[in-house]
Amino acid sequence: MGRGQMFEDPAVMRMVAGQPSLKSLDSAIVDCGNAMSWNAYEDHWMMHSYRKTRRVSGSILQDSAVVCVIDGHRSRGQHLPSTFLDLPYAVSSFRGRRGEPRGPYCRRQFGQRGPSQMHAPMMPGSPLFSRQPLPPRPRYNQTGGFMFPTNHRCPSTPKMMQLRFGANSPRPSPFYSPSSNPVQHFRYPDPVTQLHPQHKRLLVQKRHIFQRKSESRDPYCNLMTAKEKEWITRLQMIQLQSENPYLEDYYYQEYYRRMEAKLAEEELGTRSKREPPKLTTPYITKTDSYTPVVHIEGSLGQVAVSTCYSPRRAISAVHAVQAQSPLEEQKDTRQQRLEVLSKVEKLFIVLLEVEETERTKTTVLSEAEERRLMEKTQRKVEHIYSQMQHHDPLNSGGEFLPFLLISKGKKLLARLLPFLKHESAQTVLHIVTRNLPTLMNRDTEEALPVLYPALRNVIGGLTFSQLIGVLKDLTSSESQTAYECLTLACQNKFGLSLLYALLSQGEKLLSSGVPLEPSIGDFEAWTDTIFQVAGQLSQCSLVEPLLLPSNLLTLFCRYLDKRTVHQLKSNMESATGFLALPS
Amino acid sequence: MNYVPGTASLIDDIDKKHLVLLRDGRTLIGFLRSIDQFANLVFHQTVERIHVGKKFGDIPRGIFIVRGENVVLLGEIDVDKPCDTVLQQVSIEEILEEQRLQQQAKQETEKVKMQVLKDRGLSIPKADNLDEY
Repeated sequence: MGRGQMFEDPAVMRMVAGQPSLKSLDSAIVDCGNAMSWNAYEDHWMMHSYRKTRRVSGSILQDSAVVCVIDGHRSRGQHLPSTFLDLPYAVSSFRGRRGEPRGPYCRRQFGQRGPSQMHAPMMPGSPLFSRQPLPPRPRYNQTGGFMFPTNHRCPSTPKMMQLRFGANSPRPSPFYSPSSNPVQHFRYPDPVTQLHPQHKRLLVQKRHIFQRKSESRDPYCNLMTAKEKEWITRLQMIQLQSENPYLEDYYYQEYYRRMEAKLAEEELGTRSKREPPKLTTPYITKTDSYTPVVHIEGSLGQVAVSTCYSPRRAISAVHAVQAQSPLEEQKDTRQQRLEVLSKVEKLFIVLLEVEETERTKTTVLSEAEERRLMEKTQRKVEHIYSQMQHHDPLNSGGEFLPFLLISKGKKLLARLLPFLKHESAQTVLHIVTRNLPTLMNRDTEEALPVLYPALRNVIGGLTFSQLIGVLKDLTSSESQTAYECLTLACQNKFGLSLLYALLSQGEKLLSSGVPLEPSIGDFEAWTDTIFQVAGQLSQCSLVEPLLLPSNLLTLFCRYLDKRTVHQLKSNMESATGFLALPS
Repeated sequence: MNYVPGTASLIDDIDKKHLVLLRDGRTLIGFLRSIDQFANLVFHQTVERIHVGKKFGDIPRGIFIVRGENVVLLGEIDVDKPCDTVLQQVSIEEILEEQRLQQQAKQETEKVKMQVLKDRGLSIPKADNLDEY
């Protein structure tokens, strides 16, 4: 055989025809059940006849190189099957790549063999076939390339029975490559993933276009059958399945939503009836659940188990708190912090659900449904609120305070505030202002500003009396005088911004002309505060606030003389670094 | 036609001529015949193209199976597009020789650099000494 004559490839040095295995003839067949037992006599016979067709010199038995002969059968399909290995069962449905049935050839061979001699002594030099009597199990590819799931007849240890890998692995058929082998009893999963309707439309369009394209004249084209392509696509689809597509596949959903919206807009003029802006059909939920955590007897904790769904599973931190009695007074501060943190995590998940519902309220729901949804959301909000309020009934840490001391807790509260009712939100505001010194003191990560926008909105809804109440909270502390409180506040970004916001609200109320309905002593407290604050602001160095309201100077002008106002203005300006105030 | 728009899929690239760059720096050009879920690739009529300076040489390799994890990038080659390149094709022997010279020159400069650094008491660990992570 000349160099490269077989494949027209100069890089091929030598070709040796080995015993054609079922696998070599059809690469789609991944495992051939009982096909591995050989009869030495057959081998020789096959070799002999094979030799005739292949004209290969030298003893093939000595050479373990086996060359795939697929190309050969393309042109000489008629000769090849005579050397086909036999199988103990009827294989009429074997399909080669070109769809040629090979069944009749097999049966012919079967007849010629005579009494069956399934178990043969080891044949030297050929690594491909095993010689030992095999149990009726599928043999793995001896060249060891593939990932094979074991047959469900495989034994498995009792421990493995609990887990979901190996024999009991959840069985999406992608682990099997497509095969027409009738012995393998598996089923293709239906394409369970549902696509966005716009996506489906596009696919159909494209398919039409594609089908009109002419076939190329490439003789090697379509080595990969449509079935195989479909298999891979199915695999990719399965990987895309999710229970919450808007969360996990955000860009895809958003892209098609926008496309549909744009199309709908364009069609608005042409069509009288507009398509209802329905949301995408959700992906099918994966109901095949399993226990990812394995507890082995006698172990001290959880074991990290790799399964096909989570190959590298992290062991979740288990609270050691469960071992201690809950009535212990002296709890570790670190432990407390961990507890609060874990609670924050759990509440965050609830908050995310609430935000999600808010965001996806664009769907058209019936009255009852919408009401139910609102109720559900409200209940969740209240749950989070109450959890944060009464974290530990024994500990007198105060409501909300443990959460406010953690930066993530601050974020959680800031995101919760827009959902709270006015009274609840005001309670939170009071807590913040009452504990402002502590909060500012312990805010090492400077996370307090995250609360500012939400609290500003709350302040914007305060009446005059309520405002005075808040200001009183700010200035009255057990350990510090009002002066000290204010000093501290002015030197903290958040504190100062909060103060400004409160004053701004007061000014807004005063200048709005709406009857204020103040309680007794309100105005006094108000003017007192103004003077104190003015004194503070003019004396100490200010930090840059998060937001400088524009009506502060107007406020000061009401009560103070021009010189003081001027001094205040310059002081505040120097802090913010630019001329933010109208002169 | 991408069967799954919105995702990346190699199915559209089947039976087309591609250029693939492997992690070990080799460049292969061939017809992509088959893929699998790990992006293992089967190339047909593959040619390994070695570039040295402005010259290049093609070594025919036949059928190549590339394990997916070794692929850096993969791109389709437009056979219809006119090839107006400044690169000059040379014979295999010549390009291999050029490559050998290039490697040699690189090793020389590397050696000099290491020596200079060593004299100054510095050492830059080489990539092959580091554990891969």
